[in-house]
Amino acid sequence: MRLLVSIGVAFAVPAFAIDYEEDIKALLKQRCVSCHGALKQKAGLRLDAGSLIHKGGNDGPILEKIILRVSSRDEEERMPPEGSPLTPEEIAALDEWISNGASFSDDEVVPGSPESHWSFQPVKRPKIPEVKDKAWIENPIDHFVLAKLEEKGWSPAGKAEPRVLLRRAYFDLIGLPPSIEEQDAFLQNPDLTRVIDGLLTRAGYGERWARHWLDAVRYADTNGYERDATKPFVWSYRDYVIDSLNSDKPYDRFIIEQLAGDELPDRSSETMIATAFLRLGPWDDEPADPATDRYDQLDDILNATSQAMLGLTLACARCHDHKFEPLLQKDYYAMVAVFNPLHRPRAGRTELAIPAGTLKEVAALETRDKAINHLKEVFEQKYLQSGKSKLPRDVVTAFLESKTKEQKDLSKKNRKQLDEELAAAMPQDEINQLRQNRPDLPRAYTWQEKSNAPPKTHLLIRGAPGRHGDEVGPAVPVILNSHQFPAPSDYSSNRRLGLANWIVSRENPLTARVIVNRVWMHHFGHGLVRTPTDFGIMGETPTHPELLDWLAHWFVHDANWSLKKLHRLILQSNTWQMASNLENRAYLQSDSENRLLWGQNYRRLEVEAIRDSILAVSGKLNREMHGPHTYPSIPPEALEGHSDPEAIWKPLDEKSASRRTIYAFVKRSLMLPMLEILDVCDTTQPSPGRRVTTVPTQALNLFNSEFSNRQARHFAARLKREAGPNPVDQIRLTYRLALCREPTNDELDSIGNFLETESLEELCRVIFNLNEFVYSG
Amino acid sequence: MSRFRPNLTPCNRTRREFLGNLGGGFAGLALADLLHAESGTPHFAPKATRAVFLFMNGGPSHVDTFDPKPELDRCDGKSYSGDAEVGSNGRPIGNLMKSPFAFKNHGRSGLPISELFPHIAKHADDLCVIRSLHSDTAAHASGCLQMNTGAISIGKPALGSWINYGLGSANRNMPGFVVMTDPRGGPIGSASNWSSGFMPASHQGTLFRSTGSPLLDLATPKGTSDQTQRRGLDLLRDLNTKHLATHPEMDELAARIESYELAYRMQSEATDVVDLDRIDAKTKSMYGMDNPLTADFGRKCLITRQLLERGVRYVQLYSGGGHIEETWDGHTNCITNHKLHAGETDQAIGALMTDLKRSGLWDETLLIWGGEFGRTPTSEGVGKFGRDHNWQGYSMWLAGGGVKGGQAIGATDEIGFKAVEDRHHVSDLHATILHLMGLDHERLTFYHQGLDQRLTGVTEERHVIREVFA
Repeated sequence: MRLLVSIGVAFAVPAFAIDYEEDIKALLKQRCVSCHGALKQKAGLRLDAGSLIHKGGNDGPILEKIILRVSSRDEEERMPPEGSPLTPEEIAALDEWISNGASFSDDEVVPGSPESHWSFQPVKRPKIPEVKDKAWIENPIDHFVLAKLEEKGWSPAGKAEPRVLLRRAYFDLIGLPPSIEEQDAFLQNPDLTRVIDGLLTRAGYGERWARHWLDAVRYADTNGYERDATKPFVWSYRDYVIDSLNSDKPYDRFIIEQLAGDELPDRSSETMIATAFLRLGPWDDEPADPATDRYDQLDDILNATSQAMLGLTLACARCHDHKFEPLLQKDYYAMVAVFNPLHRPRAGRTELAIPAGTLKEVAALETRDKAINHLKEVFEQKYLQSGKSKLPRDVVTAFLESKTKEQKDLSKKNRKQLDEELAAAMPQDEINQLRQNRPDLPRAYTWQEKSNAPPKTHLLIRGAPGRHGDEVGPAVPVILNSHQFPAPSDYSSNRRLGLANWIVSRENPLTARVIVNRVWMHHFGHGLVRTPTDFGIMGETPTHPELLDWLAHWFVHDANWSLKKLHRLILQSNTWQMASNLENRAYLQSDSENRLLWGQNYRRLEVEAIRDSILAVSGKLNREMHGPHTYPSIPPEALEGHSDPEAIWKPLDEKSASRRTIYAFVKRSLMLPMLEILDVCDTTQPSPGRRVTTVPTQALNLFNSEFSNRQARHFAARLKREAGPNPVDQIRLTYRLALCREPTNDELDSIGNFLETESLEELCRVIFNLNEFVYSG
Repeated sequence: MSRFRPNLTPCNRTRREFLGNLGGGFAGLALADLLHAESGTPHFAPKATRAVFLFMNGGPSHVDTFDPKPELDRCDGKSYSGDAEVGSNGRPIGNLMKSPFAFKNHGRSGLPISELFPHIAKHADDLCVIRSLHSDTAAHASGCLQMNTGAISIGKPALGSWINYGLGSANRNMPGFVVMTDPRGGPIGSASNWSSGFMPASHQGTLFRSTGSPLLDLATPKGTSDQTQRRGLDLLRDLNTKHLATHPEMDELAARIESYELAYRMQSEATDVVDLDRIDAKTKSMYGMDNPLTADFGRKCLITRQLLERGVRYVQLYSGGGHIEETWDGHTNCITNHKLHAGETDQAIGALMTDLKRSGLWDETLLIWGGEFGRTPTSEGVGKFGRDHNWQGYSMWLAGGGVKGGQAIGATDEIGFKAVEDRHHVSDLHATILHLMGLDHERLTFYHQGLDQRLTGVTEERHVIREVFA
């Protein structure tokens, strides 16, 4: 049994030499360095580098004492003070390493002070490096990439074939394959820039890239938990993101609107809807502990903001100073103070969305509604007095007098019926006129500040809501540059506006780096920093730090925060246009993760792009944009695990269900099976990017599901319609539509053979399952 | 390679986490890794290699099942004056209500068990009842989440995900984490109870149906013959293999080709698991499949045995689904409620225990019985027979691999409201379950959001309940 083998290994007596890097350093990092490292040096001791271990702490050398301290039976004496003691195996390994002289590599780098961490430094534009192979250079990106390759004596992969580039550009920018006409046009005139510019003007661009942003900001249409209620009008935020990207709203403005759209001087319904960002998290409408729940909600906002926009894991400092980053508990609560004035508009467990518009518009709407209510009240009195009501006399009297408790109860009970009568009897002209003069406003699913006087915020000792520490005001983490928060306005604390302005200020070292990295990630499969939500000390260092800084600086200063300009720059580079068949064995051996970017990455498409592509090639994709979510069909068996199988999903007609996947209902307690199986991200946290897992249940879904089979039938019908009865024509069209290329003779043979006994529908199903169909790059 | 954590990368993450976190895997990974077929590395020798969680959804009453309270009998009908928080969500509070069910001592150990479970009682000497559990919430949604994932907030990986992550798959043709829900519906919170949270989707629980086709999309589509299905898969393999020549470095693509073959084998293996035709009538009858009341849970328990035989690491069975009285949530009448749900499950659970012993799986299988919390010793409303939620003290039992049976650990107060002796938080139970499976809850970590996350959380110290171990 495999298991026994691995147990055998785990228990093996150390017969091999202890390796400092692999055995000792990892152990120290995991158990000791949070108190004895660059961040904290208890007893003046650091254990994060061999030379420092030898040096010892305030009381001199410690090498001799380590074993005594970690194996002590006295709990006061024993290290580490928290968690379980080191295991006998761990102690034995330490002992052996120390007895053998505690050796370490001479070139071991001593970690610097946290202040000097790369991502906390201002973004400066580095010099563009010189390269030998000038012919390869298309734009500055290529200088940075090629210079690193040349340093190693490597050369970049060749340019990808035109049809590959075309398909790559389509999937990268709009998430759909090119049509036959678009393929023909490009092959006749292979001008990639024209294609890129064209794609960037399409509505599909916003639909594709909004999904990436929604991942980063934990978007879902429901709250999760027992009732898993639908968030009213939350879809208007999804539309806001799509439209903002399509209009190339500068990224700094995009951030400000989402954090503080209600506090902006030029507030509008659009900027109000943007603030739904704050309210996208899960919410338990029946919390176990309301006080903790309140802080959990603030934590959710803080976490989404700090990870998605700043690449910081600030939420780890809720109960104590961050163990690995220079982030203080005080920093955490200073950020809580920013969001603490927010209230969730609700009526009991029911959440409300509020009218979104300028202050003037909202006030005017209130006036209108008051006027309408007044008209209704006047009419009601007249109606009741007129004796026209069909309600019993005592009920009518109860409504008119409403004195005793009995009368009030009676009125309450009959309210609905009276309202129905009134609705039928009351002339609507006047009301209609009022509504016409002042139409309804769109609704925003957002939090509200009730006044401009924010509540007090305290640091909570060990994160416990009952244990108040010092009072804190709004501030940004002290490790980063300080920031002056603005004075409150007449109606709001302006704290979020203050935070937003700091986040997008040119001095902020993180914001531009983080977004540039995210965009890069979606064009290459990996970011230049491979931990896109963590730019702290625990995050990875950039593979190309100068390139990242150059791009961040260029993005802010030259592109004026325009994402479309950034896409254009990246896609025009030779780096992006390299082939993705990475066959160089020597390079693979030394850099199997392609960190040096010696070629493009061949990437599995996200599930949305897979589903949308299936619909696109079957000819059934419904391109209708915007509006409330759609419900793609779910097999009844998939509803079996749900506590309310009957009530939760409202299947739509096929046409509405065949819209792009971004419009599909995202229910936290019931994910569409295809999405769930094919690695959609967790919706409760800011996502660092989609994972790629390969498991048999994915094969079952793509091969056997009702959706795949139905679309295969549609695709086959389309092929017959458009290619005619000749199998070779049909196969050729299949390949061009689905894979953007002609089939090889070999493929023609295999498929021709298959079609002798099997139907075109069966072929189409196979096509949807091809690796080539679900991969791009 | 480090002996303390598998395959550490420079940023202190295991290679598996590393890949999971980054998505878009690249060349150089073993095919087996991508299919998660490698066995994991337990921290010490596991006592049990698989587990079955018999989840009594809704919250079974401990004072009516495994925690007899003579003092409650004496105080029957009196009002409660202690300091426990009574009831949930503003529901009416009645007087103390004795258990209508008689307790008897069973086995050589004399473990007291109520008359609700005559079949389970036959295995009294194998049960380790923990009577002093407590958790953090009075609500079903957060309670189920906490019992399954350790946290009251959604988005954390379930116990089954952690076990599969820690031990790896034992059979690539089957999912490693299987969930079977009640025909009346799933638990509140649904899939968030078997989600893999921040871990890769391959660790999430797979819903398994006990009738018809067990897995979603397992069956060959209607109108497609088996021969056509096979020919389709052959063509797919043929075309995919040709394509692989353009990216020979990518094991990910090879793994995807292989995944279709695994799926095909899963089609027959998983279908076999639910095909009980080969099982003799006597066995079926032992599981209660010949009685409409017990047939459904009996069928699930029998299928559970077959899943365990095929190397599934973690099976979770739900008794009760939907809301209130369709689950163990006996607000209206706890007596009829528990008679119903115990009646539906007792025989099958007893049969599963007998069967596991007979088939030799017993010693490496851990059984876990319980719900998201217990119920109040008070009635819900004066003169009523319901009981409200009680998270301050309740019972669960463990049995099987590595467990010392015939004992009760800890105690609630005299009338059964609060855990008072050897109090154990749910997370202690989780630490203990992991320990039995060879995993140290402090070392089984998954790096996410700047933290080495654990099933038992990172803020509180949690303890393995050592008294459980044989």
